[in-house]
Order: sequence, then structure tokens, then C-alpha cells
Amino acid sequence: MKNDLKYVGKSIPIHDVKEKVSGKLKYAADMQLPGMLHGKLLLSSVAHGRIKKIDVSKAEALEGVVKIFTHENSPNTLYNSHKWFVGMEITKDERLFTDHVKFVGDRIAAVVAKDRFTAERAVNLIEIGYEELSVVVDPEEAINLEDYYIGQKKIESGSVHDVFSKASIIIEDSVETPKIHHAAMETHVCVASPGIHGDVTVWTPCQVVFQVRLIVAEVLGMPLNKVRAIKASMGGSFGGKGQPVLEPVCAFLAKAMNAPVKLQMDRTESIIGTRTRTATRGTIKTAVSEDGTILGRDIHMLVDTGAYYTNGDAVTMAMAKKAFRLYKIKDQRFVGDVVYTNTPIGGACRGYGSPQIHVLSEINMDNVARRLGMDPAELRLRNLVHPFDKDPINGPDLGNARAIDCVTEGMKVFDWKQKRLRPKTSGRIVRGVGMACATHGNGYHGGYQDFITMSLRMTEDGGVFLNSGIHDLGCGTVMTMKQIVAEVLDVEIDKILAPEGDTLVSPFDVAGTQASRVTFVCGSCAMKVAEQVKEKFIGCASKILQCSPEEVVMEAGEVWSSTSETVKYSYGKMITDIQSKFQDDISVSYTYTSPANPGVYAANFVEVEVDTLTGLVKVLDVLAVHDIGKAINPGFVEGQVQGAIQMGIGFALSEEIKVDRNGKISGDKFSKYHVINAPSMPDVKVLLIEEGEEHGPFGAKSIGEISTCAIAPAIVNAINAALDINITSLPVTPEKIIKALHEK
Amino acid sequence: MELIINVNDIEYKLDVNPRMRLLDVLRENLGLTGAKEGCGEGECGACTIIMDGLAINSCMVLAHQARGKKIITVEALEQDGEMDRLQEAFINNGAVQCGYCTPGMLMSCKALLMNNPNPTDEEIKIAIEGNLCRCTGYIKIVRAVKEAIQNQ
Ligand code: FES
Ligand code: FES
Repeated sequence: MKNDLKYVGKSIPIHDVKEKVSGKLKYAADMQLPGMLHGKLLLSSVAHGRIKKIDVSKAEALEGVVKIFTHENSPNTLYNSHKWFVGMEITKDERLFTDHVKFVGDRIAAVVAKDRFTAERAVNLIEIGYEELSVVVDPEEAINLEDYYIGQKKIESGSVHDVFSKASIIIEDSVETPKIHHAAMETHVCVASPGIHGDVTVWTPCQVVFQVRLIVAEVLGMPLNKVRAIKASMGGSFGGKGQPVLEPVCAFLAKAMNAPVKLQMDRTESIIGTRTRTATRGTIKTAVSEDGTILGRDIHMLVDTGAYYTNGDAVTMAMAKKAFRLYKIKDQRFVGDVVYTNTPIGGACRGYGSPQIHVLSEINMDNVARRLGMDPAELRLRNLVHPFDKDPINGPDLGNARAIDCVTEGMKVFDWKQKRLRPKTSGRIVRGVGMACATHGNGYHGGYQDFITMSLRMTEDGGVFLNSGIHDLGCGTVMTMKQIVAEVLDVEIDKILAPEGDTLVSPFDVAGTQASRVTFVCGSCAMKVAEQVKEKFIGCASKILQCSPEEVVMEAGEVWSSTSETVKYSYGKMITDIQSKFQDDISVSYTYTSPANPGVYAANFVEVEVDTLTGLVKVLDVLAVHDIGKAINPGFVEGQVQGAIQMGIGFALSEEIKVDRNGKISGDKFSKYHVINAPSMPDVKVLLIEEGEEHGPFGAKSIGEISTCAIAPAIVNAINAALDINITSLPVTPEKIIKALHEK
Repeated sequence: MELIINVNDIEYKLDVNPRMRLLDVLRENLGLTGAKEGCGEGECGACTIIMDGLAINSCMVLAHQARGKKIITVEALEQDGEMDRLQEAFINNGAVQCGYCTPGMLMSCKALLMNNPNPTDEEIKIAIEGNLCRCTGYIKIVRAVKEAIQNQ
């Protein structure tokens, strides 16, 4: 690995930070187009039913209402919003507006009005006659019902049966995780505008512009070339804006009205009517030897994808694969059953199944340690994968997997042994420590297509234009790409232009901002395309400088021959000379296909304080140790981790979209859905293990998703250790703690 | 309804729909879109502005309640091309990711420093307890405010 890096490894602020702190940056909700109309959705108020009657007459009579759309006057194309590339075969069960509502929040109609207030008022005037049908919200019930059961995913390495029939120590746990809301501060929003060529343009804070284009085109029966998707400034996503939700609806409204339309959700609509973290019920059995070696493991996951299919089976497979990539377990089985329920739709959510599978496996690991009387960190060290281990189910190699370093370094820095063995206090306030490990991936290699095209051009004034379909979700993607390009070409960051995705002008990217692929895959593409441009530039420059390519020196925006250091050209002057002399353009378009998908690893250590009278938990301290290969921008990495910990604390302690027996939803507003705020946020120390990864740009691997995978189980483990209880149902609310203490 | 308000030292005479909230007037009538709507129920702080020296959620104030008041929005933090030291500190400390909470955060912090130039860490956290951020975990935001205090 290169050590004398100039741009990579520096904490440079996010590219549009000035516009953000001055309030100038326009998000989709801030957009105004001439003649723009406003849409408002009507969402179902019953969890399951057929629509027998829709009376829009009162709503239509309201002054300012332009038109109302329902299943009666809109396309009935079935689609699956999870589909992100054309060749993907998948069950399609969504449609723009339904006549068969399947959860409280299902889309029934949209009002288009001259202003937002009128649209909101009109929605309340639409009268719906439902024929209510039986409601299933419990996945355990759904698994036995034909209409609700989707199918099974199963992976096995070795023979679990053989191991368990001989094992003497088997520790079993059942763990539940809730549906949660991504809680991006920006609610879902989209603006669409029809063109005069039968085309439509969609501005959306999204994660995959080419997926938006595909879904809009499919639903509206348009050619891909007639749909232009432009990534708008993103007010937070975390997976929640991954699948197109509003985009096909908004594009349809704009086309139908032949006018620009803005469609925005309020918070409640965003909570119930978009996507959620998929809820799970898992059981796990681990067979171990007396010395703590895992002999075999048997996992069953019941996965509740909610009312529509979306990524129900994909997220189950994602969980399954992770189970084989953290510990060395020769004999292991994962079985996942996927069901529908009449509840909000599951989708991508930061970690994509990893938080769920690790809550299950890591709580169980602590119970194994407890049973054996071992230090849970030592138990993990005995079983964690080693660098360059193979995946036992023939998945991609683990690469430079530094899970063990994460634990050993973390134990030292956190002072784990000493804190763990501290005598327990017996008063009302009790403290405890816990830890957990996790793994995640770096893209789609081994699962789906994973390639991206970027083009890079050096301009006549010494600038660099990196054209690609990237999406900055607030994580710093644009700056990350600039830092990589700057490092290769040795050019100032400010001279690089790296716009975000726009399907009209961006080169194709097959998968967008998903699967923790951006730094590892897109970053590698940026690096390679810059290297090729550099080679071309040096080749031409050598002719002008009359030296060999090896003698060409590029440094800080200047180029010269090492044989005559007095004649220095600026990059811009050299480009201009190359143009006039050779009529050539120093630009390259390059398609990079990811050759690898190594694991990333994390160990989180936490200290909690529990009030045994009220059951309230305060997280006092967090140490997050990450095997990141190389941090391109350590400031971004730290920011990712700190934000992910905030999300993980909520997952562990307070966040839940609750659905009652009738499918009614509580936790559908921030006043009823507790997102961790500043006073409840502990200090988070971030420790990076930077040992380099072969196929990552400058050795870098992913961080955004792995960073929220170990925190919840670490907190639960700390609570259970402090109180000597075994809560395995998230969120660990005060009520659950008080109940567990009473039952002790 | 006629409304006279002072926003960022400019006196406006507007004709507004009486159901409009202060947030709507700022965003839609005045084009000051820095303040955002994240919940519309006073829980997220994305719409925070300063009214007569206090940080308030502009989604919870009807436009007419702002009559005759002095409003400051994020757009006025920068003066004569110079950023406020809070803005500088947010930039330098990586306190901004998606930026959606940022204007509201800045205004809560600005109001805090206007009333209490030397807040403790606890006071900073309490000043932003009504400002949710999903990206940063608040840590760099608190760090930024501390730096801004030192730089005053
Ligand atoms: S929008 Fe005003 S507090 Fe959330
Ligand atoms: S920076 Fe995204 S919500 Fe705070």
C-alpha cells in the first residue's frame, strides 16, 4: 500500500457543505417549477380489504382540485420496486393504486391540486367503501397460510444433523427484531415533469437512478430512453429511499396532467407507507465444546416482508450468507421462511439483514459464553474467521478479514477485561459492559451483476471531469471519488467536477448505492479510470516533452520531464498542446467489473447503565472497532459510524413500528416513535484497523452498513450481563426490563 | 389575511392564507427554504428558526402568531459574505452529512449562544434535544458548537 498519500486519508468536508450550512442547497421539497401542481396520496385506513366504492365527488368539487386518480383511471401494471436491473426475474405484486388494500398505508388514490393545502383537504373528502377481509399480522400465523407464505431459503455447509446428534452442549435462543423506520429527516418526496417529446423527467432523492428509470418505464409502459431520472439532493435515506416508492406515481401524475407535479409525504406517510426494516423472528442452536469451539450451528429465521414481496427473499439470503462469514463453523444450516403480513412493507434498511442476523447470533454467543463461564470476547476470538479464509458455502473469499484484530485491539482500548470483571453494584443503578461482532459485504460480486462505467476527462484549464452515476446520500461519496481521482492524478480537489446520477448524461451503473458497494466498487472504477487517463496523458506528454513516458513527472497540477526540470507545463497547458498537436482528447470511458467481495468486520464494545426501578437504559460509552482496509476520508468514516450507532441504539432500545392485531399502527409519528436525541447519545470512539484490501481503492472497504450491525446486540448483551437476565426481544424497552427483573 | 413580519431584518407585508404556518410563509412566500419540514408536529426541529431571540419550531406557529415579531432564519447567518462561526465550525468538524437537519441545528445553536455565550456540554445537548439528526449521531455537532464557543 502507498503510504505517502496526499488526498486519500484526509478528512475533507462533504462537497456541498457550504451550500448546506447556508441553507442554499435545494432539496426536492424546495423545488418550484412553473405551473407545478401538488399531489397528495390517500392511504388505506384498513389493514386488509377490497375497495367496493370510491366516491371522489366531494373532493373533486373542492376549488383548486384538478384531478383525482385511483385504480379506476390509472395503469394497472404489476411491478416490484425492488427490481433494479432489467434482467432481474422477480415476483411482481405492487401497482400504482390498488383496489385490494393489504395494510394500513396501502396506496388507494392521489389528488392533484393547484396547491398543497387543497390537495390535503381533498384527500380527506374521498369516501372509500371497504369490504374488510381477515387480517394477519403475526408471522407465526402467516407461515401456515397459503396466501401469506412466500417460500423458503436454505443453505447448509457440512452436516448439522451429525454434529447435533453427538453434541453435549447446545445453547438455544429465540430472538425477535421489530420493523423500524429509517427516519431520514427528509420525508419521501419526488418531482416529475413531462417533456414535449412524450418523455418525463423525475427528480428524486434516490439511491439508484437507473432503477428509478427502469421502474417508471415499466409501470408507465415507456421506453427507457423516454424517462430521465435525476438524483436530487438527499436528505437522508439509509435504504429507505432505495426502492422507488413515489417516483412511478409522480411520473404518472405528471404525464397524465401534462404538468410538473410535486408529491411529498408527511412523516406519518413516510413511516407507514414507504419501507421498513424487515422484522424477524429467529431461533438459533449452537453446539459447542467445553473449550468454547463452535461445533455446529442451526439457524431458523422467520422473515416478515410485510404486505408486498419487494426484497423479502433477497434480504433473507443476505442474512443467510452473513451467518457463514463471521465465525469458522464447518457444520451450519440456515433456513429462512419468508411470509407476507398485513403490515408495512419491508425493504432495504442500512445493513440489509445484517443487523437482524447479528442480533440473533451475537446474543446467542453471549449465552454460550455464559453457559461455559467464558469471557464472551475470548469465546469470539476462539471462533472468528482469519484473514484470507474461504467462505464455507463457496461465496466470495473473505479477503483480508481482520475480525480478530477488531476484537483484540478493542479489548485493549476499551479496557474490556477490567471493566467486565468489576464487582457488580447492588443498588438501584446498575452498570454493565457488552460486546458483539459483525460482518458485512462489499458489493454484489458473487450474487448479482456488479459493474459500473465512468468517464474521466482532463480539461483545457487543468480541471478534471469525472462523469458517473453516483449518488451522495450525505455519506460523502462525491468527495470520496474526488479524493481517489485527485490522488491518482495529483490534482487539487477543487479542480475536480464529479456530478451525481442523471440517466440522460451519466454512464451506466448497474446497481447504484446499494450493498455497501460504492467505495469498494465505484471507488475502484474511479481509480482505474483515472489511472488510464494518466497513462494516456503521460503518453502524449512524453511526446511533447520529448522524453520517455517513464521520465514524465506529474505533480500538483504540473507536468515535466525529469530530464529537464526547468520546463514545466501546467496540466491545462499540456492538454491544450496535446489538442493542437495530436487532435486528441485526454479522456477515457471505462467499465469496471468487481472481481471480489471481501468481508468487512466490526467489534463494538459498550457500557450501559440501567435504572432497575424504571427499567431505563442509558448507553454511557461506545467503542466501535472497524476493519476498513483503508479510510479514504477518516472524518466521513467516523461520521458514518457515529450515525450508525445512533440508529443502532434506537434499534436496541426504543424504535419500533408497532402493529396491533387489527393491523392498526402505532409509532407512526415522531411523538410516538422515539429516535435517539442528543442528550441520550453516548460518546462514540472509533478505532480503525487499516490493513488494506487487495481490490479496494487504496485498500479501502465499506463502512456505512457494517457500522450499524454490531451495536444493538452489544447493548443487549451489556444489559443482560448487568442484570443477569436474558432479554432477546428488541427493542429492549423499560417494560421488558422490569418484567425480566420480576421474573428473575 | 395581511401579515407584516420582519424576517432577516427585512420588513415584509404579505397576503397569506390564514391556515399557513410560519414555516409555510418562509418557504413558500419568501422562498427561504433553509428551514425544512421533517415532522410537522414539533418533534424534529428541522424547521427551527429564531423568533424574538428564541429558537422555535416554525411548523408549530401559525403565520399570524409571528405578526410583528423579529425572525431570523439560517439564510441570515452569513453576514457580508462571512459565515457565522457556527457555520465555520460545522464545516470544520464534519458536523454535516445529508444536511437536512443542519439549518435547524444551526438555529438552535445560534439561539443558545445568543443567550448563553459559554454553555456547558450538557447545555449544548439540551439546546439541540429537539433537533433530530439521523446521520451524525450528534457527536460532531456538539464538537462543532464547542469549537465555535472557543473561537468567539
Ligand atoms: S417540522 Fe417542525 S419540528 Fe419537525
Ligand atoms: S446531517 Fe442528515 S439529518 Fe443531520
